[in-house]
Amino acid sequence: MGHASEPSHESLEQAAEWYALLRSEEADAGDRERWQAWMAAAVEHRRAWGYVESVSRHFATLQTTPDPRGTAEELWKANDRVMQRRRALGSLVAVVGIGLAGWLTWRSTPLPYLTRTRNADYRTATGEIREIALPDGSRVWLNTATAIHEAYDARYRTLSLIEGEILIDTASDPSRPFVVETPQGRLRALGTRFTVRRRGESSELSVHAGAVEIATQSGAWNVVPAGRRTRFTHDGIAPLAPTDSAREAWSRGVLIVEDMRLGELVEELRRYRSGHLGLSPTVADLKVFGSFPIDDTDATLDMLASALPIRIQRRLPWWVSIEPQADSD
Amino acid sequence: MQTLGATAPTISIETVYGQHHDWLRSWLCRRLGNASDAADLAHDAFLRLMLKPASRGFASHGEARGYLRTMANGMCINLWRRREVERAWLDTLAARPQEHAPSAERQAMILEALNEISAMLLELPPKAARAFFLAAACQLTDREAAEELGISPRMVRKYVARGMLRCMQLQARETLDALHGTD
Repeated sequence: MGHASEPSHESLEQAAEWYALLRSEEADAGDRERWQAWMAAAVEHRRAWGYVESVSRHFATLQTTPDPRGTAEELWKANDRVMQRRRALGSLVAVVGIGLAGWLTWRSTPLPYLTRTRNADYRTATGEIREIALPDGSRVWLNTATAIHEAYDARYRTLSLIEGEILIDTASDPSRPFVVETPQGRLRALGTRFTVRRRGESSELSVHAGAVEIATQSGAWNVVPAGRRTRFTHDGIAPLAPTDSAREAWSRGVLIVEDMRLGELVEELRRYRSGHLGLSPTVADLKVFGSFPIDDTDATLDMLASALPIRIQRRLPWWVSIEPQADSD
Repeated sequence: MQTLGATAPTISIETVYGQHHDWLRSWLCRRLGNASDAADLAHDAFLRLMLKPASRGFASHGEARGYLRTMANGMCINLWRRREVERAWLDTLAARPQEHAPSAERQAMILEALNEISAMLLELPPKAARAFFLAAACQLTDREAAEELGISPRMVRKYVARGMLRCMQLQARETLDALHGTD
C-alpha cells in the first residue's frame, strides 16, 4: 500500500540537489523560483522534499543544543570510534552466512571490548546454603537447590537466577547498575538488599533495604520499596504486600515463622530435604511460631514434635512422615 | 528420501525460533558480554523476523543461522553505536554549566535526533559524510567546508547532495518499515 506513493529515485535525487543548491551561497532568487516551480509540478516532488525536511529536522534539533558545534564534533568522534572498531574487526573475522542485504553484511563483526566479561556459575545442592562474594564487593547468598549465572561487564552487573532463591546485598556502583534476571522479568537494584525466588511460572521479590525496579518480559513495570514484596509473572506484577526480615533469615541458616500453617512450613522444609517428607492432612492447619535451624531439618522436625500434637515417623532414612499424635495411650 | 526435490522445503519461523533462539541468545551474550542485552536483542531479532520474514524463507537451518547472525551483528553494532552517542551527549552536557542544561524531555528529543544523525552519517562514504556533516550539522558554508576539506566548493555541494540523498533514502526506508509495522 505504501509502495505506490513512494517517490521515485529520480525525484529523491532532484530534491537532494535542490537542497544542496539552495543552501549554498550560489543560490539566487531565480533558483528559488525554479525550485518552487519544481515543487508545484508534481505530488511526487513534494513528497520527495518531505524527506529533505525530515532529515533536516534532526539537524535543526541539534542546532537547539547549548553548543551545537561542540555537540556535533562530539557526535563525530563517537561515530569515529564506532567506525574504527568496525574496521579493525572486519579484517579479523571471516563472515559466514548469507547477507540480509549488501549494506548489512559488512557490519558483521563482534565487539571484543564488550566481550571482556566475567562469567561464572554458582550452584548449591539441596540443603546447602552458601554465601558468595562478587567481584564488586556485592554479596549473594544462595539458598538450597539454587543456580545462578554471573555476568559482569563494563556496563552492567548481571545475575541470572536459573533456579532457587537468592539474597543480594549490593555494593554501590553508580556507573554499573546491578540487575537480576529471571525468565519472567528483570530486576534493577536501586541501592539495596533483597531476595528473589523462582517459583514455577512466577518469581517473588522481597525488598529489605533500598528499592528494586521490576520490568516484566511483557513490559509491566513497578518499583518495590523496602518492606514490600510482590510476585511477578511474564505478564504482570501482583499488588505489593508487606514483608519482613524473616524472609532473609535463611541466609543465616534460620527459618523464622510466625503464625504459619504447618502445611506451609513443611512445604518450605521440603526444599531443604532430598528425601520424601509426608504430612498428614489432619495436622496441616496447625499454626506454628518460632525459629528453626534450616541447615538441620531433622532437628527442626524434632522441635516441631515437642511443640505441637504431632509425631515424626521415620520410616526409612529418606522417608519421613508427620502424623497426628497417637490418641493418648 | 527427499533428495529429488527441485525446490528446497522452507522452514517456518516457529521452527527457526524453537531451534535457534537459545543459540542466538548465547551467541549474542558472548559478543555483548551481557545477558540482558543479549536477551533483548534476541527477542528483537525474532520480532523482526516475524514482521518481515526473509523473502525466500530458509532452505536449511544453516541458512537460518547465517541470516540471524548477520541480522544480530547489525543489531550489536547499532546497540553499541547508540551507547557511544549517548556517551558523547552526556560528555557534552557535563562540559557545560548545569543551569544551562536542557530539560529532560528536551534532552530525550536531542538524543533521539543525535542518534538519527549518527546512523545516517555512518551510512555515507567517508568523504561525503564529512562534507555533509560540516554543512548540515556544523552549518558551514560550502566555501568554509571546502577550505577545511581541501577540495573545491563545487565538490562540497556534490557531496552534500549525495549525503542528503542517502539520508533521504534511509528515512524513506524507515517510513516504509513503520508503515509495515516494524519498529
